[in-house]
Amino acid sequence: MLRESLAARAAAAAMILSAAIFIPVTPASAATWGADYFPNSTLTTQDGKTVRFYDDLLKDKRVVINFIYTKCGDSCPLETARLAQVQRILGDRMGREIFFYSISIDPVKDSPAELKSYSQKFHAGPGWLFLTGKKADIEVIRKKLGQAARADENQLTDHSTSLMIGNVATGQWVRDSSLDNPQYIAVIIRDWLSDWKDGGPRGKSFAEAPPTPAYLSDKGAYLFQTRCAACHTIGQGDSVGPDLLGVTKNRKRDWLASFIALPNMMLAKKDPIATALFARYNQLPMPNLRLNDVDVNALLGYLEAHDAASHGQAKAEGPAER
Amino acid sequence: MSNGHFFLPWNASKARLREAENARKNRLEIVKGLSQGGFSRRELFKWGLITGAGALAPIHGLSPFVKSAYASGGGLSIPTGAPPSPGTVGTDFSQPMLRMEVLQRNPVSSLNPAPTWMANQTLKPVDPMLGGGYGPIEGRPPGPDWAHQRWDVLPPKVAVEVSQEGAKTNPNGNIPFRFHPSLPQQNPTSMWTFNGTAPPKLLMGRYGEPILFRHHNNLPADITQNAGFGRHTISTHEHNGHHGAENDGFTGAFFFPGQFYDYHYPIVLAGMDSINTNATDIMASSPDDNGGLVKVPGDWHETMSTHWFHDHMFSFTSHNVYKGNAGMFNLYSGLDRGNEEINDGVNLRLPSGTAKSWGNLDFDVNLMLADKAWDQSGQLYFDIFNLDGFLGDSMTVNFLYKPYFEVQARKYRFRILNASVSRFFKIALSDGSPMIQIANDGNLFPHPVVLTQLDEQGIAERYDIVVDFSRYKPGQRVSMVNLCEHRDGTKPSKDLSLADALAGKSSDPCVGPFLEFRVIPCSKPDLSQVPATMIPNPDLSKIPVVRERTFEFGRAGGSDSAPWTVKTDGGQGLAADFSRLAAAPKMGTREVWHLVNGGGGWDHPIHIHFEEGQILARNGSLSNVPAWERGRKDVYRLHPAGSVTLTMQFREFAGMFMEHCHNTVHEDNAMLIRWELDRGMVAMPTPNPTPQGVTYINTSVMPTAF
Repeated sequence: MLRESLAARAAAAAMILSAAIFIPVTPASAATWGADYFPNSTLTTQDGKTVRFYDDLLKDKRVVINFIYTKCGDSCPLETARLAQVQRILGDRMGREIFFYSISIDPVKDSPAELKSYSQKFHAGPGWLFLTGKKADIEVIRKKLGQAARADENQLTDHSTSLMIGNVATGQWVRDSSLDNPQYIAVIIRDWLSDWKDGGPRGKSFAEAPPTPAYLSDKGAYLFQTRCAACHTIGQGDSVGPDLLGVTKNRKRDWLASFIALPNMMLAKKDPIATALFARYNQLPMPNLRLNDVDVNALLGYLEAHDAASHGQAKAEGPAER
Repeated sequence: MSNGHFFLPWNASKARLREAENARKNRLEIVKGLSQGGFSRRELFKWGLITGAGALAPIHGLSPFVKSAYASGGGLSIPTGAPPSPGTVGTDFSQPMLRMEVLQRNPVSSLNPAPTWMANQTLKPVDPMLGGGYGPIEGRPPGPDWAHQRWDVLPPKVAVEVSQEGAKTNPNGNIPFRFHPSLPQQNPTSMWTFNGTAPPKLLMGRYGEPILFRHHNNLPADITQNAGFGRHTISTHEHNGHHGAENDGFTGAFFFPGQFYDYHYPIVLAGMDSINTNATDIMASSPDDNGGLVKVPGDWHETMSTHWFHDHMFSFTSHNVYKGNAGMFNLYSGLDRGNEEINDGVNLRLPSGTAKSWGNLDFDVNLMLADKAWDQSGQLYFDIFNLDGFLGDSMTVNFLYKPYFEVQARKYRFRILNASVSRFFKIALSDGSPMIQIANDGNLFPHPVVLTQLDEQGIAERYDIVVDFSRYKPGQRVSMVNLCEHRDGTKPSKDLSLADALAGKSSDPCVGPFLEFRVIPCSKPDLSQVPATMIPNPDLSKIPVVRERTFEFGRAGGSDSAPWTVKTDGGQGLAADFSRLAAAPKMGTREVWHLVNGGGGWDHPIHIHFEEGQILARNGSLSNVPAWERGRKDVYRLHPAGSVTLTMQFREFAGMFMEHCHNTVHEDNAMLIRWELDRGMVAMPTPNPTPQGVTYINTSVMPTAF
């Protein structure tokens, strides 16, 4: 059964055993994933302030970290809009107990000014930093958080859309999708990772929590909630993007279908309405959500149903420009 | 302690070890220098130590991952995220394997407080570390949705009480918790196991004898007392019981330190509402204590034998299972009796023993295989940021580093469980002699399959095999060998030949022999058999398929994708969110599910909870399904870029179940979906556990769910 020579084994044993003096230590998780683990490299915020990654951004804090680049046309705007929703749910915890860090993976192009403009488009508030720095430093941070792209992947376009949600003081980290339900992300950062010491709202009792009927699983409603609601409301006013109440009455169906399916193409070929919307809404292009014809029709059906139900309550002014 | 660590073969040369250690130190210094501003990147670039892209250049002497001039056997080095686990060189097969410890079966009246139909909401003070105030003593979600189904007709007859807690010496036998006598005892923060002790626990149950499994969470309320990994909130999955979902260990129905959760395992045959409902078929039966049989309702073709139970905590399953939250569960029936002598035309008489009328373990041996790593202090180590999949560098069997096991020169049954985080195994005997595989995922085959090498065994798969040691002479030794090599946690890199695995031609230290059998004389005649026909598959031909669904597991291209996602029925690739319902089959129906691996760079063992399925096709064809996958299964290895088509029924018990990748790193908060066996056309509200009581949040329903 010996698969190696005794001499080789003895040599290896001598080498390893000399190192195998067991030092009894009981590291707490915070020590394991603390200053010795994370780099303390220098990053720059959207306001031009320099900060140390561990000392200033992580130490003792609850954090949500994602990696973005401002030229990203697909997932980054949606990720950022989702985080903006989470920010609203967390309210005044932001900047006091909980911090968001959106770190650029294209730091040469993403200057602080570029990031500042980007953050404003999404109404980023206190405690949400958009960070740039040296590319190599950011790569180390990305790797340390388990978010490095694989060697065979495009470092930008294949980037992970995960959020890393952590309580640095306790060394507990959760990976979550930035495209998920914002309520649910909020529960993880606010409740789970504070070990329920935060005291936030706790959901409903069993008696108050009705089951979700199957008819609410309408495809259009589902798509709106998961793909559109981060930036648009229906009748609740403008958000990152326009309020969509009345939109099916004020725009031709064909135009809506084309724009929902291929907003980037419409803008690129200088469609006048798309261009006007771009200018009006902070020059933030609508991302291509990669919806197919069935999805687009389901969404339009959902919006049309709302407009029919609203009996022309759409605001008299404005929609025509939207 | 986590920069740049690696595997090296145990037979690595001194020069290679020194080189690797130097490389590790160099790299640490450079990373430290960079982060503390000791020298500029420009300088490093000039010195040729970093690449234009800014990564540390993978040159000899800098990265310990890099192939070396001194390296032997092809020289691959495999990053675990940990340095080589010290202290075991030269200690292979120098300690006896411990058998699993059977959990005590008590009368239900021993439980205080008595178990209740709905969750026991009696209040008690909550530890200030968990927010203080008052919370219920039982963590099960309150209300009728989470009350025990069929509690009135299948009341518990046996109580088993366990406690999740930190490692300690086992008072039964004074067994210290350590992987090997040359290694230190595990700290209470390092390993969290059932009753806090080694060896791992074995639950024994019989059909028709419902068990109340009361699980106490006695983990520290202070989450920092976890040695760097593990979560103190837990949810226990009985894999793969035909039980109500309230007993399934739903990932979002976890409970807290200081609480218990009553799991009710009815142990019934699937089909009990539609097949053999009056319990007239003696083949559907369970052993009594006197050698006789008690008939039970249901389809005897659904009889199951080998389960396991483990944590299913959302986002932390990999941590907690690795940390020791895993046990095994043998189910006994008229067919699979655990007695090899009784000859009544029902008993299959598989190797087991004769002393008791059922449940003999003399020659029926549970083997829990898991790769582990430990740090320089000898304590269990886990890298929480290795999100591709975590590998250990040390093989353990029943929590022990490469043990030996004395076997009599006769037939044995081994119930082999892959309890790893991300590692696949492929098992052979060191002399290449045959093994008889009798079950897959705990389900006895229609016919046994003779193999000299088992198939790759994915995480959570159970392979039951029979080995006949009568071909050896007392004094001879033969080993179980792992042939499956990993370079990382994404998928196996290759399967070695037996000769190469024995010759140490892999630098993956978990390749090679891991359990040595030492043959001793047979004490009594071997009465056991391996019948040519065991349990034919359930006949589904008359049951219409009402629905097909497709689940694609993968990492879709482009940046509009999360790294680990499941696409349901062609929809968006979505990460796990247990408040989202992806599928809602109808009670009493049969469906066909297509599981697709969206990429070639990965493998995923997909587990579907609740009922056993049958594989209809691999990559579109039944001819691709090997003999050992033609029984019933609950874990489906997809293979890189592969697909599995399976069919399963949905019967008897309702509630929220799951489907997920059992590479638990992939599963954690990514590759997992919730499905529900409906109670009408509604989705259940989603439990939101807090130490002060479970509340509910709204469920979002995917358009294709119903």
